Amino acid sequence: MNRIIILTPLIILLIICIFSLTYLLSGKDPNKPPSALLNKNVPSFESTSLYDKKEIIRTTDIINRKTLINFFASWCSPCKIEHPLFFEIGKKYPELYLLGFNHKDTNSDAKKYLEDDGNPYDFVGVDSDGLIALEFGVFGLPETYLINEEGKIIYKFMGPITIDILKNEIEPLL
Amino acid sequence: MSSLVGFLSLVFAIGINFYLFLSRYIFKFQKQKFNLFIRSASLLTLLSFFSLMYAYVVSDFSNYNVFQNSHSNKPLIYKISGTWGNHEGSMLLWLSILSIFSFFFSFTKNIDESFQRLTLIIQSLLHILFGLFIVFTSNPFLVNSILVNEGLGLNPILQDPGLAVHPPILYGGYVGYSIVFSIAIAGLFQNTDDEWLYVAKKWSLISWTFLTGGIALGSYWAYYELGWGGWWFWDPVENISLMPWIAGLALVHSLMMVRGEQAIKKWIVFLSILCFSLSVFGTFLVRSGILTSVHSFAADASRGIFILLIFFIVTGFGFLVFLLKEPKKSNALNLLFINKVSALVINNILMIIATLTILLGTIYPIIIEVLYNKRISVGGPYFNSTVIPIMIPGFLLMSIAPILSWQTNKMNNSKKYVLAFIILSVLVLIQSYFLDFNTWGFVGLLLGFWIILASMIAIFSSYKIKINIKFFKIINPHVAHIGVGIAIVGITCSSVFQNELDFNLSEGDKFNVNGKTVLFEKIETTNQINFQSLRGRFLFDIEKNQSKEIEAGKNYYPVSKMITSEAGILHQWNKDIYFILGDQKNNEWFVKVLINPFVSFIWLGVIIMIYSGLIAVTRR
Repeated sequence: MNRIIILTPLIILLIICIFSLTYLLSGKDPNKPPSALLNKNVPSFESTSLYDKKEIIRTTDIINRKTLINFFASWCSPCKIEHPLFFEIGKKYPELYLLGFNHKDTNSDAKKYLEDDGNPYDFVGVDSDGLIALEFGVFGLPETYLINEEGKIIYKFMGPITIDILKNEIEPLL
Repeated sequence: MSSLVGFLSLVFAIGINFYLFLSRYIFKFQKQKFNLFIRSASLLTLLSFFSLMYAYVVSDFSNYNVFQNSHSNKPLIYKISGTWGNHEGSMLLWLSILSIFSFFFSFTKNIDESFQRLTLIIQSLLHILFGLFIVFTSNPFLVNSILVNEGLGLNPILQDPGLAVHPPILYGGYVGYSIVFSIAIAGLFQNTDDEWLYVAKKWSLISWTFLTGGIALGSYWAYYELGWGGWWFWDPVENISLMPWIAGLALVHSLMMVRGEQAIKKWIVFLSILCFSLSVFGTFLVRSGILTSVHSFAADASRGIFILLIFFIVTGFGFLVFLLKEPKKSNALNLLFINKVSALVINNILMIIATLTILLGTIYPIIIEVLYNKRISVGGPYFNSTVIPIMIPGFLLMSIAPILSWQTNKMNNSKKYVLAFIILSVLVLIQSYFLDFNTWGFVGLLLGFWIILASMIAIFSSYKIKINIKFFKIINPHVAHIGVGIAIVGITCSSVFQNELDFNLSEGDKFNVNGKTVLFEKIETTNQINFQSLRGRFLFDIEKNQSKEIEAGKNYYPVSKMITSEAGILHQWNKDIYFILGDQKNNEWFVKVLINPFVSFIWLGVIIMIYSGLIAVTRR
């Protein structure tokens, strides 16, 4: 009995160290909280196309295919950095549906941006009032979500994606 | 150049400590030589620290750390404090304070020589661990690869005189426990007489006093700088300073009453190891960036893993030695229904439960995030509703503990105390009835005043009042408890009876605060050396001739593009009137006024506790 009491501090120490180590090794950043939506159904949305107001995309349209959703804006400079990577993804995974949401932007600015830098998206939805981003819990631009065939969010990344992130974190899920 | 000197002296200091460690097994040498080595290692570490400080003072931007964290326009005091206003420098400060403690400990007289040597060797080991951590992951002496004429500046929130001295004093407490740890471990290995307990008592009192001062300074800074009107936020970083503080309190009290009881001795060793473990754990949590707070500088996983390893080694080693070499058991404790020993044992248990409760709340978010990948935060409501109720019985016991007897259940003058308690309860109840009745307010005030009153009765009825040093030493435990009582009154009033008023005002408006008319005179902007300031000037109580002037506003630091809020506080003995200037909208400014009753009592109570700590150090 006495022995067990004396052993307790060591056991507590071990537990604390194991959890701290796991936390550190998992590369979590305390400044970037994990999404509450991870492994949950994609929030329902409805948005018109940037190019044609009659064309509408809804949640039901992306079910049964893998979708990559990217929130971007012409005024967001980090978005410019990750932009070319979406062409690569599109080329490498033609079956992946690339959905871009143009966040709190004017239509003319967004069109000009996609003209200058190219348009990698299969569909560009307008989110001028930011309500869709609110549903997704977007923290800051850019943000990228991966949705599986069942309509569940399986991955989320805050900030511009890089080649490393693409190779190590996104591609294994595709 | 100074960077080179600093780096080399740091490496040499680590080398000497390594040599000293080996000396236990390989090269034996005499006491004089040993002391010479340990002192020179300490001085070399200090030299390293002062070289870094010199680089800061002369704004030597060829040092990468100075370039990152300093700016030539900064006032001298912030150049100096910039030395520890960043991760690397603050770890070097940590190591320097460890060295200072070793240095002074090497001068201790009247203790067994081999025991002293073993203690210092354990200190050397700690020095090596943390020294290697600095050299490999947090080197403050890296050379800047580009040639620059100007630095990037110090985090403006840290540019404050109170905060300039807060880290060294707080570290005095954290790191001071290293020597208590080393003493306890050495005591376990050597199992000599009980002389080491007296030595440990002195050092643990010194550490505890420093820790108290450091926490109070940080808290006071948060009060006037963060502009939220509170002084304690149960922020993770505050919690990790509170844990060794409470454990240290338990340690100090156990050391006070040790009379050769082996069971208590075991407990003291346990607490000594625990205090330093909690200090290192705190260092880990803050330095690894695992928690977000104003204290976390740039996070880096390798640093976190290294310091977690140190925490594991130090704590694991400590408790393992404790497990394997536990002090021999002999006579049991003289536990009675209510005597000094039982009161202290109960208090110790309560303090440990409180410490564990805080520990659980602090690491719970980490555990949850690892297990469920969810972010939760544990804040004030958890701590207020768990830690405070745990402490209340302890406070009650504390008020009578000093007058309890060692050997019997008898309490001197018990009638006097019972009568005093009843009268006090009625008075506080009447007072609470006429103000808004609040349970916590009632309990807090009753406890606080009761501790003060009981200690006063004890002083006046047990001793002859004399004004000399000896008398102050004798009544010191009671004085310390009066300090706690005053602080409890302050804490209760300022948190339970705080009053908040919101206004939207234009320049020239008059408004009413606490029955006094206040004039919002004007908004002023000025340019200071390293920031631009925006101040709202308020005149308090303009009906009187001597109206008081209060300035509240914001500072903008262009170098780091940050805005800090500067609360305007009118201090009165019985309340603080706390002005916060908010944003401007349609020519109207948002002004928040908080009335915090009896905040000054908190600081007064803390000052009394620090005074008592210092007196206790001189008492054998």
